[in-house]
Amino acid sequence: MPKIEVNERLFFDLLGRVRDAASLEEVLPGAKAELDGWDLAGGKPGDSGAEGRVIKIELNDTNRPDLWSTAGLARQLRVLDGAPIPEYPFFSREGDERPAKYTVKVESSVAKVRPFMAAFVISGKPVSDAMLRDVIQTQEKLCWNFGRKRRSVSMGLYRTALISWPVAYKAVDPDSVSFVPLGMEAPLTLRRALAEHPKGKEYGFILEGESVHPLLVDAGGKVLSYPPIINSNDLGAVQVGDADLLVELTGTDLHSVTLSASIVACDFADAGYEIQPVAIEYPEPTAFGRRVVFPYYFQAPVALDSARASKLLGKSLSPAAVVESLAKAGVRADVHGQFVQAFPPEYRNDYLHAVDVVEDVMIGRGMADFPPERPRDFTIGRLHPIERISRKAKSLMVGLGYQEMIYNYLGSGRDYVERMGVESEGVVRIANPMTESFEYVRPSILPSLLGSEAASARAPYPHRIFETGKVAFRDASENYGVATRQRLGFLSVHAEANYNEAASVVAALFYYLGEDWAIEESEDGRFIPGRQARLLRKGRSVGVFGELHPRVLENWGVTVPAVAGEIDIESFA
Amino acid sequence: MDARALAKSLHPLETKVLLRYGPGDELGNGRLAAELGYKEGQSNQAFSWLGAKGLVEEAGRSTRVVYELTPLGRELAEKGTPEERMLRHVASGRGATLPELAAALGLEQKDVGSAFGQLSKEGILAMGEGKKATPASGKPSPRMEAVRALLERAAASADGILGDETLSVPEREAMAGIAKKRGAGDSAFRVAERETIVYRLSAAAPEAAAALRELGVTGEEIGALTPAMLESGSWKEGTFRPYNVGVQPARLMPGRRNPYGEFLESVKDKLVSLGFEEFDGSLVETEFWNSDALFMPQFHSARDIHDVYRLAEPTSAKFIEEPYLSQVAAAHENGGATGSRGWSYSFDRDFTKRLILRSQGTVLSARALTRAAVPSKYFGIARCFRYDKVDATHLSDFYQTEGIVVGEDVSLRTLLGFLEMFAKEVAGAKEVKYVPGYFPFTEPSVEVHIKHPVLGWFELGGAGIFRPEVTEPLGVKVPVLAWGMGIDRMALMALGLNDLRELFSDDIEAVRLRRASFSV
Repeated sequence: MPKIEVNERLFFDLLGRVRDAASLEEVLPGAKAELDGWDLAGGKPGDSGAEGRVIKIELNDTNRPDLWSTAGLARQLRVLDGAPIPEYPFFSREGDERPAKYTVKVESSVAKVRPFMAAFVISGKPVSDAMLRDVIQTQEKLCWNFGRKRRSVSMGLYRTALISWPVAYKAVDPDSVSFVPLGMEAPLTLRRALAEHPKGKEYGFILEGESVHPLLVDAGGKVLSYPPIINSNDLGAVQVGDADLLVELTGTDLHSVTLSASIVACDFADAGYEIQPVAIEYPEPTAFGRRVVFPYYFQAPVALDSARASKLLGKSLSPAAVVESLAKAGVRADVHGQFVQAFPPEYRNDYLHAVDVVEDVMIGRGMADFPPERPRDFTIGRLHPIERISRKAKSLMVGLGYQEMIYNYLGSGRDYVERMGVESEGVVRIANPMTESFEYVRPSILPSLLGSEAASARAPYPHRIFETGKVAFRDASENYGVATRQRLGFLSVHAEANYNEAASVVAALFYYLGEDWAIEESEDGRFIPGRQARLLRKGRSVGVFGELHPRVLENWGVTVPAVAGEIDIESFA
Repeated sequence: MDARALAKSLHPLETKVLLRYGPGDELGNGRLAAELGYKEGQSNQAFSWLGAKGLVEEAGRSTRVVYELTPLGRELAEKGTPEERMLRHVASGRGATLPELAAALGLEQKDVGSAFGQLSKEGILAMGEGKKATPASGKPSPRMEAVRALLERAAASADGILGDETLSVPEREAMAGIAKKRGAGDSAFRVAERETIVYRLSAAAPEAAAALRELGVTGEEIGALTPAMLESGSWKEGTFRPYNVGVQPARLMPGRRNPYGEFLESVKDKLVSLGFEEFDGSLVETEFWNSDALFMPQFHSARDIHDVYRLAEPTSAKFIEEPYLSQVAAAHENGGATGSRGWSYSFDRDFTKRLILRSQGTVLSARALTRAAVPSKYFGIARCFRYDKVDATHLSDFYQTEGIVVGEDVSLRTLLGFLEMFAKEVAGAKEVKYVPGYFPFTEPSVEVHIKHPVLGWFELGGAGIFRPEVTEPLGVKVPVLAWGMGIDRMALMALGLNDLRELFSDDIEAVRLRRASFSV
């Protein structure tokens, strides 16, 4: 979930009011956001407006990138607070193009590597420190979370005054062009920039295996940037006070690139900047045409049956009531009979289905408008058969003097394989473990119990412990090649622990489970030969018990005799 | 403690001492052995207990010399000393040279030599013709008789110890020849010094003795009641010694449930009482059921390589059940028949078969949808696995509680109704609030927050109505409420713990001693 930091003064300016922590916490849920912290820069909570104060906010909706900026979050809260839905007249639409002073020509060479681009120019006043910081954060959050770590969307800002128009977006041999990347002094080829610049190291994977790399150059041949890696050190070095900034986004998905451009444009418009459209001329037609003027509104309206909204929300709502509720959530809509046509705001593209509009109806009306209602359907509750047999086994084990334990299911190869002296083939191993301590799924409860014993030598004896829980192991007959089973494992450790004790526990257990059973000799390397037995139920092997082999005890550093058993309790369910 | 209470707390070994002796009596182990029949251990206990209660005090200490029979000494007592054996051999008429004697008696040459030297010096044996030992007096000397007496007395005593004060003068002289202080392995006795303590009753003793008499306690009361007493009825003739009920009882280690396990069961019982049926499933799942069936796009950031655990071997399921695979794929690509526009990407049918460790309990809800009746309610407490660094608030595997409600008429308001029941019935909350939430598989989505008396507001869980892109490809045409609760967090609060790792503790003593009461 994205976490953002918002400049307190900018945020309150955009919000149109000052809020304290309590009042902010009350309204943030309307944006599915939570207050995460408030850096008062040494001041008191009431000193709002002072410099350097930052509010930290966590956004929960991964499908609403428009909320991951100061202006975007403020816009949502402002509208929920009753402000009118903002207007953004600079958007072009299909058949309704705004005049564009600037042009970027896209060359066909980028088609395979990174085909799409959107751009616009912000002007009207010099960029402030707060706004510059915010747009850099927006760029990070948008391109990391929404743009999949810059793979599908990346963004750059440039000083328009230094650019000779038109700009060209093309792909070149990475050894053929050199430029000075941002933060460096000497020119590097694209290939060297990938190898040497920190951003090259971080994002180079995106261009791995590509024979040509994207490049943005102006009419004078000066490099603006090397998307999606790094800007140039001159045209691409933006500072507080610069006016007329070119914002450019490139990527692999036209809708994502376009929406990201719309989000940034609306943010700057809300902060009082002018947005000047830029025309992008493609060599071939795109979904939006061959020549597209950005910012561009592409979202299709979504039809919602007011009856569906009423049914889902559990409250009868007329089409007009639905439209009114949507307006409170910042969404324009109109009525068509019992249907409502909702127009996604310029900065949003999260309506996949009519139910997404229903949620905005809920948010627009507020949760208090939906009193909880007791469900009417009658259904019979019951525990799973595995749970029922497990409870029976647990109460028997407690009666037999055993303490119940509950363990984690992930562990190390050392514990599950080496110390037990078992083959590793049957054990489920994780391909991408975080550490070797959590690399395997336990194939048996015994290593969990022995791990306890190894950690508890100082606890007064006897130690009698058990667990009922799951194990997983390779099983070629399963669709997944792995079986999960519920087992009962027990361990008794004390100076006189012997086979007879374990045999008595098993006998008592089976007697009260009411099961016919038999035992036969077994040859399990974890137990002493001749002092172990396999448990049979209806001719099938369901477990093993006996005296643990001193070699196993030694592997665990256990110096007291131990007996143990493990039974597939699920087979009794 | 008053004298009466003190008297009641006395053991018979103490009682008899107090009743028998008066001020001025000098008491020691020997005296108690002779007069009360106490073994040395019993005397020591009596003095130690009485001392702790301030009823006896030390009157003085003396050191005495004792002789302790060695293993060799015990052997000599049994088989005879070399001198005795040589004398017997020669006296029986079988004259022999010293080497012959050594061979016949199984003795070392040097032992035979020194024994013969002693015997001839005392005129018992003499060296005759052919260097053969022959009888002189042929009778044991007083010294030899004293040695024999010492060996036999020591061997017959319980501890093999002879006090120096019990020896006669000739015995003391004889002892000097067969006892050593150090390196006594080849001697019959080891010389040691023993400290003996002399006790005297304290000034408080007469009062305690008076209280004993007043109570009628003699020290002959019945201690442990035995089957024999019950059978013979002998208990009728005696009285029972009262026991000190203030004594710390011995610790028992009973069989016992784990408090966390009891907590989980109590939650299950609550949910069953609310009409939910429990589901269960595999720890290993496919990307399909874990996420794709829940309409999480395959490029979703939560599905990155470092967010779920993949299996090393095998890596893929053999198949994904149809028609679910095709219907879910269509929902992702273009919405299929669900009325959604989908995620507009090409669904990867190999990736979807990839095997992972279940990362969310919702996978069980998705599977339940394929067989769900209308109406129906299901729940599960499922072990889930996350790519997290283990600390007090994160575990690599932990429990999640999930459930669904399938019904023709379920809605946001009934969802809130359920959440209210969970908050009040399961979590015991008094105050509940709901806020909009976000989950990839529900729309609308809400979070439920409850107020903890100490910790304040916190998120109990999340819920929503499954998206049509989730339910319809799995064959369900009616709305489905889905909810999840952070059960481990609730458990910490219920058990008064503050570290998630303690829920899964492998420390036997910590678990055995954990005392947790919860009112769920």
